[in-house]
Amino acid sequence: MSAKKRILIVDDDPDVVDQLTLALQGQGYEIVSAGSRAEAEETLLTVRPDLAIFDLMMEEKDSGFVLCHHLKKFYPETPVIMLTAVTAATGISFSTQSPEARSWIKADRVLDKPVRPEQIRVEVRKLLNEPEPAAEHRAPADRR
Amino acid sequence: MITFEADGRTIQANEGETILTALKREGIHVPTLCHMEGLPPSGACRLCVVEVEGTPTLAPACSYPVAPGMKINTRSPRVLEARKTNVELLLSNHPDDCLYCSRNGKCDLQGLAMEMGIRQRLYRGKKTTHEMDVSSPSILRDPDKCILCGRCVRVCEEVQGVSAIDFINRGSRAFIGTAFDTGLNLSSCVNCGQCVLVCPTGALSETSSIADVVAALSDPDKMVVAQHAPAVSVSLAEEFGVKPGTDLDGKMVAALRRIGFDRVFDTSFTADLTIMEEGSELVHRIKTGGVLPMLTSCSPGWIKFVEEFYPEFIPNISTCKSPQQMMGAIIKSFFAQREAVDPAKIVSVSIMPCTAKKFECSRPEMAPGHIPDVDYVLTTRELGQLLRMFGVDLAAVEPEAADTPFGERSSAGKIFGASGGVMEAAVRSAYFLITGKEYPELKIQPVRGLQGCKEVRLNIDGLDVGAAVVSGLGQARKLLDQLKAGRKDLHFIEVMTCPGGCINGGGQPLKADMEAVKSRMQALYKIDREEQLRVSHRNKWVLRLYEEFLGKPLGETSHRLLHTHYAKRDVLL
Repeated sequence: MSAKKRILIVDDDPDVVDQLTLALQGQGYEIVSAGSRAEAEETLLTVRPDLAIFDLMMEEKDSGFVLCHHLKKFYPETPVIMLTAVTAATGISFSTQSPEARSWIKADRVLDKPVRPEQIRVEVRKLLNEPEPAAEHRAPADRR
Repeated sequence: MITFEADGRTIQANEGETILTALKREGIHVPTLCHMEGLPPSGACRLCVVEVEGTPTLAPACSYPVAPGMKINTRSPRVLEARKTNVELLLSNHPDDCLYCSRNGKCDLQGLAMEMGIRQRLYRGKKTTHEMDVSSPSILRDPDKCILCGRCVRVCEEVQGVSAIDFINRGSRAFIGTAFDTGLNLSSCVNCGQCVLVCPTGALSETSSIADVVAALSDPDKMVVAQHAPAVSVSLAEEFGVKPGTDLDGKMVAALRRIGFDRVFDTSFTADLTIMEEGSELVHRIKTGGVLPMLTSCSPGWIKFVEEFYPEFIPNISTCKSPQQMMGAIIKSFFAQREAVDPAKIVSVSIMPCTAKKFECSRPEMAPGHIPDVDYVLTTRELGQLLRMFGVDLAAVEPEAADTPFGERSSAGKIFGASGGVMEAAVRSAYFLITGKEYPELKIQPVRGLQGCKEVRLNIDGLDVGAAVVSGLGQARKLLDQLKAGRKDLHFIEVMTCPGGCINGGGQPLKADMEAVKSRMQALYKIDREEQLRVSHRNKWVLRLYEEFLGKPLGETSHRLLHTHYAKRDVLL
């Protein structure tokens, strides 16, 4: 069994999937990706991710929320980051700061697009309980 | 001197002066939108038009020079109609959501519509529809509310030398955005917020942390601790219509307690601590042949600026964290231990005159073990909003002192809020660290004032030290270019991102002119003048903190908690 932590990235924008993959693959994570909620649901039948990053608005405006619910039903311990442009597009913002919000948004963190590569790496490490790499050992690409 | 006539009055003016400045001096108000104090006119908005006798078209007062014998009319029906029409055209595609707008009540466009008596929608244009940019931790952009006056673009380029934003497209398709319209978060934006200060509408505002702070205050499991920056107490008054330069320090502390903060600390305390660390670092660099000139590290916009534009100067930047981050770090270590509280249960809120501090507290280096030194940053404006929301009447609040152990400060820490303050405080203490004696004249006049670049040569125990103080990143750019070109006479350089320093920070009350900024500065120096404890190295609690916890300046614990590192950033420049 591979010691690599597995991250599931779901976004209907292939550029976002590519950028996230680039930002995280170099850090030693195994990346599995899907381009829609339907595809992600299928992937989840065979793949158990250690962490998931979901877009919100895909086939439907709330696809990401639905996906969060499904994932947490099977793997309640798997942390989820919701990475969305919903506020930019609609003006409505979501946060997981309050217990009330967390009770229905089954994500552990909501981030607004676009994110800096270092931002997503920090959130991933935080949710996976991994320590920050020492500054001197960071790859130059990490120093953004 | 030349003489001209306006509205039948004879007015004297300097040659080459614009109509606008001459009229302003005479007390004749001409409305403006795109005009910016201290910068060349752009003449974009045409709101300042006046009638000049003998010329066929109306003239923009902001860019039209006065001439001897010129006769102008600033309030003829033609002038008033033209101005009104210009505002009506700006309103034609403006969103009608004033009630939900962050600028409601403080909007220049709203003010002009009132002034001009606009009571009907004469023109119905197609509304612009751009997505909001909510990606930045500091600044929120809503291009739909933008009237394309260009003030943000100008301040970003001409004052700050950053050029993170510019006009994209032309004509009716024009909007303001970042390179490739990717969002501020990925751009070279240093989060200084000067664009927010100059924006006449709600197109630019700070990313608000009010909701998060309110949630923390109502959570019984959390200990919510506040720190407030030196420049906040002398500017908060303006949020409540009190005259600029009024110091509300004690009232603010009391108000923060009233709304539920468990402890209120003064960031000036860690400014004193910064001086101990930074002063020691400077002395160490000078004595051991370290990298010089040393550049200050208190201003997070400046740090990002160097990481992006001048990474070769990263070794010159002091490794000291900013006072905000030092306070955050000792709250969640020394204070948490002292109070026997789990650091994860402490919510550390910092009240700053600054939007870049919001970015700074989210830097990964500032969260050892994934516990951030500082959780949320509120600007002075947000604090005003929070106090109003919680129904605090500042006039009725009796002043109170900040909490121990981080409430005591020297006035050297307090003057950190003004450009030159860090230098002055550092010299007072570096002199002591080198000679063991107090600096003979505590007031170092050449580093005070609102000029963009101030230089002084100091004699410290026979050592000739070259010091420079710059504020505004455009000024910093000039100085860094001189250093790049081989200038070698400087040892210590203080840089503050915003012109004039934190007193003119991007999180400060809106609609302040340079006179207001000057009043804030004078208020800080008045505090210094009247204070008994005027040097950081005599702050008893700072000394006790070293004795009980940190050891010595630049020691192992200091290094772990109070120092940081920087790295080159790859952003679109």
